[in-house]
Amino acid sequence: MSQEKMSRRDALKLGFVGAGAAMLSASQAMAAAPTEKDVKFDEEYDVIVIGSGFAGLAAAAKAAERGYKVLILEKMGRVGGNSVINGGAFAVPMNKDQKAFGIEDSKALFIKDALKAGLGINHVEMLELIADRAQEVFDFTVKCGAKYQTGKKPTHFGGHSVARTIVTENMSGSAIIQPMAAFVEKLPGCKLVTRAKMDDFVMSNDGTTVIGVTARINYRFDNKLYSDDIENKSGEKKVYRAKKGVILASGGFAMDKEYRKIQDPRMAPDMDATNHDGATAGALLKAFQIGALPVHISWIQEGPWASPDERGFGVAPLLTQQGLFVKGVCVDIRNGKRFMNEMADRKTRADAQYVILREDPKAYPVAIGTYNTFDEQIYAAIEKGLQGGVMKKFDTLDALAANYKIPAAALKETIAKYNEDAKNGVEDQFKKQTLKDMKGKECIEMKGPFYAIRTVPKPHHTMGGVKINTKAQVISANTNKPIAGLFAAGEVTGGTHGASRLGSCAIADCLVCGFVAGENI
Amino acid sequence: MRSKKTLLALGFFLILGVMSLVGSEVNASSPQLKITPELKEKFTLKPHHEKLSFKCVDCHEGQGDDPENFKAIDDKGCLSCHKTKQYLADRLKFMDNLHTNPHNSIHDGPKLYCDECHFEHKKSDNMCLSCHSNDVKLWMRPTP
Repeated sequence: MSQEKMSRRDALKLGFVGAGAAMLSASQAMAAAPTEKDVKFDEEYDVIVIGSGFAGLAAAAKAAERGYKVLILEKMGRVGGNSVINGGAFAVPMNKDQKAFGIEDSKALFIKDALKAGLGINHVEMLELIADRAQEVFDFTVKCGAKYQTGKKPTHFGGHSVARTIVTENMSGSAIIQPMAAFVEKLPGCKLVTRAKMDDFVMSNDGTTVIGVTARINYRFDNKLYSDDIENKSGEKKVYRAKKGVILASGGFAMDKEYRKIQDPRMAPDMDATNHDGATAGALLKAFQIGALPVHISWIQEGPWASPDERGFGVAPLLTQQGLFVKGVCVDIRNGKRFMNEMADRKTRADAQYVILREDPKAYPVAIGTYNTFDEQIYAAIEKGLQGGVMKKFDTLDALAANYKIPAAALKETIAKYNEDAKNGVEDQFKKQTLKDMKGKECIEMKGPFYAIRTVPKPHHTMGGVKINTKAQVISANTNKPIAGLFAAGEVTGGTHGASRLGSCAIADCLVCGFVAGENI
Repeated sequence: MRSKKTLLALGFFLILGVMSLVGSEVNASSPQLKITPELKEKFTLKPHHEKLSFKCVDCHEGQGDDPENFKAIDDKGCLSCHKTKQYLADRLKFMDNLHTNPHNSIHDGPKLYCDECHFEHKKSDNMCLSCHSNDVKLWMRPTP
């Protein structure tokens, strides 16, 4: 439906009373999804994909490979959303490198790890889907041109009981996104349009089936607005028919100042997050409007490995997750003591950090380690961290303690105990799972130099979203059955990871479910 | 945009040779649009463009006479002089070594819209800053 038509109808309902003023509020407060009779289609495709991140591109690539004409609508000017600014870490349970390096993994172990981090409320059938198909989808992305650092010992991410993560060639998701976008654009009839914002789903006249979308092209996202979704009026209207259906892959809402605050009032509008500016709830809310079933919306994961000394995602997540946290420690600066398993799942760690930060908001816990703690995959990031000042290097623990005002004697005692336990093969007080192979070795090398990063949790991944089944069909809250013509994948869906997702499982989830959507549409 | 290159080339000759002939009244495609000091202040030009004595309609070609109704000229407009995005990426090739070439970044390659960062009539922005708040000052100068 055009904005004009919608407003006119709403104005009629209001009996022309103050139509001018009512039009604005009516189109926002009373809008219903337009139906076929309300619109005139400008263009026609087989499949329309909303969003160009991992999920959207996997869906588009698979659907396009099957011969469908695919249109991808991307709201932002850049392709890939959060997927091009992330760390390119992809958990592939039972992958080839695990076998090569003698790491035993299984579907059951993967699901057990995910359930532990997710507080048991995960939708297990979705975890099974990911475990069953991650390797196949990994291979599909390689076929599309994605590049990974294979042939190396997989990276061990927090909360995983074994190392099962493969990192992209350039330590960024862009090594997957760029070639996959090119793969789709090369196929006949397929198109990726940036600065194109989906406004509404278009329903069949009986309201049962999604048959297209209305959108605005030449849309200019404005990060100065409090709510871009509501306030931004830029762009020119287009209506697209989707003969086979629409795949919603619009991502999460960790940058939606209002919506995330409603879900978790502790997240103030000015709170920094790891996401790109466009990660807002607009498209998710449109899916709810046509009956999509919401699940786990208020679980917003915060990344415990971010730093207050840089904006956004930055470089700290690489240097802590694949560095300081692995063999190093993280201490409360007020007493020099450890306070968590540095390799626990994200929620466990963020909760522990908040125990400190809610008592003293400036007492950012400091992660400390020596060079041996860094994974080979992220060596290139070390210099970047030091140059930008996010990570600091000290010759002695005394200098480090003085810089962060940590009681030096207590810090040394903490590290001595930590090193001794690992060396003797004794499980430490927080049951850290990455120290098993450190028997007889020094976790933190006392000769130094010592690397340190101040840490703070930042909103990272919104766990909730629309409910999908294992065919990536969106389930309706009105019927508990799939909504015809509507599929979804990636962060816009919910349930899969429960209360908190394990690190490096987003790429697995997005790519697998996107692929499945493209396969089933 | 077709005539812009010609205009630019012409502009160079005029600047070099017959400076005095270039006045705001010389504006074949839009005789009505007078570039007043107020207009200049409202829609300031970047110094490198100012130096070339650009008129509004050199960029806002075929958009009428009213600057208030002018539209952004998009990549096509910028590239009618600045060649291609690959050309711009290659000019900063020396930055590729440290993966800091803003026109060929690890994330986007040579694909971003010019006006993600560059704005003619207001302060430019640097998109890299949204994640690399500490690094950008080490990597590059302010965005022109």
